[in-house]
Order: sequence, then C-alpha cells, then structure tokens
Amino acid sequence: MRKFTKEELAHCDGKDGRQAYVAYGGKVYNVSDSLLWKGGDHQASHTAGQDLTDALEEAPHNSELLEEFPVMGILQED
Amino acid sequence: MAKVTREMVERSGVNVDQLVELLVKNAAAELTTYYYYTILRCNLIGLDGETIKEIAETARIEDRNHFEALVPRIYELDGRLPRDMKEFHDISACPPAYLPEETQDVNALLKVLVKAERCAVRGYTHICNLTAGKDHRTYDLSLSILHEEIEHESWFSEFLGEGPSGHFLRRGATSPFVSKFLR
Repeated sequence: MRKFTKEELAHCDGKDGRQAYVAYGGKVYNVSDSLLWKGGDHQASHTAGQDLTDALEEAPHNSELLEEFPVMGILQED
Repeated sequence: MAKVTREMVERSGVNVDQLVELLVKNAAAELTTYYYYTILRCNLIGLDGETIKEIAETARIEDRNHFEALVPRIYELDGRLPRDMKEFHDISACPPAYLPEETQDVNALLKVLVKAERCAVRGYTHICNLTAGKDHRTYDLSLSILHEEIEHESWFSEFLGEGPSGHFLRRGATSPFVSKFLR
C-alpha cells in the first residue's frame, strides 16, 4: 500500500482538477467522487489534503462515513 | 443586510462568512430535497408505499419551510443566494435524494429518505455547535429545524425496522418548531 507524506497528501487538495484525499486514523481516503467534497471543500469547514483525525472528533458524524470511500494508502508518521 | 446583527455575530467569535456559506448550502439542501421528495412521494404507492406517503409529504413540506426560514437569515448576515439555480443545486450540503432504480422497492425509497434526513441532522447539529451561545438567532433557527429533521429521521427509521421512534405523525399543522420563523 502506498505511503503518503504530509506534503504528498497536501497536494491532493481537490483544487484545479486535482484529486481530493483526506487522512483519518493513519489511512488516506479518496473523497473526490463525493458531492460533499466538491472542489476539496467540505461543509465550509474542512479542506482536502489534510489529516482530519483530530477534526473528526468535533464533527457531527463518525468515521463510518469515511469507510464508504476507497483507501489509497497510509499516511507516514513524522 | 442587518449591519449591527452581523457585527454582533462577528464580535462573538463566529466566522460569519463560513456560517453564511453553511446556511446557503443547507438552504440548497432543503430546496433540492423538497424537489426530490416530490418524486419519491409520487412513487410511494401500493400498500407499503401508501403507508409512508403521509410522513414523506410532511417531511417534504417541512423541508420547503426550512428553506423559507433560512433565506432571511442568509440575507440578514449579508449573504445571498446564487443567481443560477443549477449552481445552487450543486452546492447543496447533502447529496441528491434520487429516486432508486427499483421504483417499486419501498425499502430502497425509505433508505433514501432516512439518509437525507441524517445528512440534515448532521448539518444542523454542526451549525448549532458553531453558533451556540454566540449567534442566538441563527442558533434558535437551526435548533428549530434540527427538531423537525430529527423527527423526520425517526419516522423513516422506524419504518426500516431500526426500532421505535417514540413519535407519531403530525397532528394538524406542519413545522411546529419552525413556524415561528415563517410568520
């Protein structure tokens, strides 16, 4: 499985036709096909290309929703 | 625009531009859901479908009411609706509640309905969390909508066999919580 650095993940921000990837719990998910991540923006609160592990604690949904999306790899630890 | 209204919300620490964007996205979700629920309701036929038709209709009308109630708050906060309705559709906070391929499959229709309501419950919970103790009017509005969305979710969930809702369908007028914003 591909390993992503934070820089590589940051590049997948969903802008200008790029893929929209987000990380959670060490996994990198491809959310490009989700209407709720259009243009890399999610509910005016989050942007793609980031590790949202901490942010999900505050979100009005759990990680089950992320499991609908394909896993593209794992996020390398610093 | 209500200048001092916006100023007060800004001074409370709320990111007003973010809030307005969320309100517009949720207004889009309400109006598009009203449209998609029209199609779903029309297809709720037969013994099983007719059983659900009344609550689907109530949810449909209340979602339209939510749209109507959200719009003034958007403009008060110096927001605006997109000029192009196609754009408005595509920025919705929730995915389209499309009629399933198998239009006679009432269970599939129910799953579409409950998924839409759950998206709405999440959205208004988020807005309530952002505005609680800060933007009292938006909080009151969002909480009122949330009360109704939770009831919609519970109605449909009950029909899917997920457990008792503890609710009964509306007795009389629609939007018991949001109606104060529609006067």
